[in-house]
Amino acid sequence: MSKPLLLFISFFITCLFAEDLSYNAAITSKFGDNYNFYTYTENRFDLNIFYKDFQSWIQYEYSNPPDIGFPINDIRKFRIEYGHDNYTVKLGDIYEFWGRGLVLNQIDDQTTNFDNGIRGMFLGYQNGLFSFNHINGNSNIWNFGNDLRIPEYKNSHNVSANQILFDLNSVSLGLSHLSSKENHEFSNLNYLRDSTFVFHNMKGIYGSLILDNVDLFVEYVDKVSTEKNNLYSDGPLDSLKSGHGVYLNFNMYGGNWGLSTEYKRYAFDKGHSSFTPDDYGNRIAFQAMPTLVREQNATLLGRVAHQFNFNDERGVQVSLTGSILNLDVISQYAHLSRNEEWQSLTLMDWVDTAIDGYLPGSSTSALPYWENYFEISGSQLNDNLYFKLGRGQNRDILEIIRYFKGEQQDRIINSFWEYDTTIVDFYGEMYTIIDSAEYLDTSFTDLYSVETKIWQESKSITYPLELSYLFNNGYSVSINFEYQEKQLKNVSKGNSRSYNELDSLWVLIDPENPDSNFNQYDNLFSDGSKNYDIQFNRMFSLTIGKASKWSATLTHDQTNAFSGPTTVDPYYNPLEALIFGDLKYFTGKRNKVDPPDFIQKRWVSLELAYNLTSSQRISILYGSLQGGLFCSNGVCRTIAPFNDGIKLSYSAIF
Amino acid sequence: MKKLLIIIPIMMFVLISGESLETGGKIPDLKLKLLDGKKTSIHALLEDGPLLIDFWATWCKPCKKVMKHLDKYHNKYEENGFKVLMVNQDTPRSVGKVKSYIRSQKYSFYVGLDPNQKIAKKLNGLIMPTLILIDTDGTILWRHQGYMPGEEAEIESKIQSAIGLSTDK
Repeated sequence: MSKPLLLFISFFITCLFAEDLSYNAAITSKFGDNYNFYTYTENRFDLNIFYKDFQSWIQYEYSNPPDIGFPINDIRKFRIEYGHDNYTVKLGDIYEFWGRGLVLNQIDDQTTNFDNGIRGMFLGYQNGLFSFNHINGNSNIWNFGNDLRIPEYKNSHNVSANQILFDLNSVSLGLSHLSSKENHEFSNLNYLRDSTFVFHNMKGIYGSLILDNVDLFVEYVDKVSTEKNNLYSDGPLDSLKSGHGVYLNFNMYGGNWGLSTEYKRYAFDKGHSSFTPDDYGNRIAFQAMPTLVREQNATLLGRVAHQFNFNDERGVQVSLTGSILNLDVISQYAHLSRNEEWQSLTLMDWVDTAIDGYLPGSSTSALPYWENYFEISGSQLNDNLYFKLGRGQNRDILEIIRYFKGEQQDRIINSFWEYDTTIVDFYGEMYTIIDSAEYLDTSFTDLYSVETKIWQESKSITYPLELSYLFNNGYSVSINFEYQEKQLKNVSKGNSRSYNELDSLWVLIDPENPDSNFNQYDNLFSDGSKNYDIQFNRMFSLTIGKASKWSATLTHDQTNAFSGPTTVDPYYNPLEALIFGDLKYFTGKRNKVDPPDFIQKRWVSLELAYNLTSSQRISILYGSLQGGLFCSNGVCRTIAPFNDGIKLSYSAIF
Repeated sequence: MKKLLIIIPIMMFVLISGESLETGGKIPDLKLKLLDGKKTSIHALLEDGPLLIDFWATWCKPCKKVMKHLDKYHNKYEENGFKVLMVNQDTPRSVGKVKSYIRSQKYSFYVGLDPNQKIAKKLNGLIMPTLILIDTDGTILWRHQGYMPGEEAEIESKIQSAIGLSTDK
């Protein structure tokens, strides 16, 4: 048994019989099993104990296996805190949040399996308006690879962090520092697991001002990392990366309207592609920073979320919130891009040019992202009828595969040799070469323009609608409908499609006519037999509930095409047959493992939720759920589809 | 297995010792920062009367629905010393929009900020919305998870009971 556990149990038993003891607890249990052998069992028990100046927290988990992550049957988290007068001491799993997270924002998010907690100690001292905090400990942060459920790469950090804070209600100023020695895992060129040691050092400053009608927050962080590279065992060959991050939030309020503006510039590293565990960049996982796109609560909007690049991204977001004529209005606009525009000199070599000024770029080569969202909601009929209508639109340059626009000139290599004719070698057959030269001859062609670009982009427009009506007897009916049109395509344009490595030149599609251009759009949505220009997604759900007791939700999710491999529903379940009114199923005329075409590209589920008491809830879901992108706290992961199965969950707080 | 044997008795103790799962226990005196920058604590908010704590975020649909009712009860029973404290769990992604939303709705209840869920974890408010009704002496009178339209009647009934306007305890 570990020492922290013994310490905790001793403390718990001591406190158990004390009069000043108070505690609370929570239990969460989840079970899932489906046709694709996607099975999980998760059980977690959280216990908080408060005794005089002591607080403690323990989380026990039995998961074999969990929905995502590793199987565990152990104390997952624990912490003991002591606070007296000006001092605070915490031992165990530390989760802190400084400023807006440019240096430190610790999260334990089990929906995305992201956990950047530090196991160690926290020391805090407060003297009037000033406080000093120190953290020291270790952290293991896991990254996903190809497997959607089990993480593959472990980043181990040994962390030391300090914060000095001045806090006078409406004005606060903080200085922060964090250093970490990291062992970073990745797969090397031979697809074998490898690791590298990196030392990170961050210094940050932030401040906020809160007035009646205005508030302002600014944070800046400077970061340097040194990677030890021990190739060829010739001693360390350190490589250094440096960067900075800026975040600004300015809000104005007038009447019942609020205008929120945000700006970010994260320049910790730079790159024209995504940063993976193999190509990880300079920013580390303790930096969970503002993203500057809207945190959506509609399912289909969540699936088209932008994949953030915290190493290299700048952006602005403006959001207006208010109410007029008893209607609540939200209007939001965001524009992000990389900090550089990229140009591919050859198929492999890229060069970047910093974007002028501070605002995000609009050139495709800066991988821009735009989104806007408008929502109107309100209540009528004595607040019994609630309605909400939204409109979300975005455009995202996902990847630039090739991007060159410039001039080039055809050339040939002319060679020149000078011979010594006074001496005859090799029995008079050759003269000795005494000088030679090679030069590029471009005299036979003029400069001409070349454009060759290939990039991948997505566009979507989504309309979420919600209607709910509460009857006087406590029953309620809610309808949610979301409609989405999405495009995903590779765009190619220019007057060249290929590159000649020998000549180091882009090859024109028509050398006789350099001005002949092409535009090509390759749609990436397919149903396995043909490609589609637009993916149509529709999600409908109907909920009937009785206040305080139960609710039943039927959900129907439909698409017409896929961007990846075509998903095939392997099994025909009775709920699908019932929803589609297929009498043949119930008369035994259907082959359940060879479902009819009309149930493909549809996911139907029924969820029943029942409140055992006001603090205990049980729910059961049967059917299928479409997987897809899910984002939380700036961390995105692809959820695997759930086919023809059952999910059970129970939660209680006491 | 050893650890399981330790946890099970703890769970059994907690389950057996509580009068019921919804009530009982004392609220700890946790400190928090309000939306206007001022600092307070849960016990300080309990000085005048009962307190209802609700955990919410700007992206939580049922949270927004119940907020309208909670603000109404905050104003309606303010004379009885009753208060509502809304503990916001928006992360850095959206915390900048919290005040805009509150101002646009003209809500007058107390709003506390809990961006990395320190308070929510200590009071088990990670499921949103979670309501905790606390008596003046710090005793937890009622806990409730989730919100379905129509539950506001039960919430008001519990508040009335806490401030002594009904006999429903």
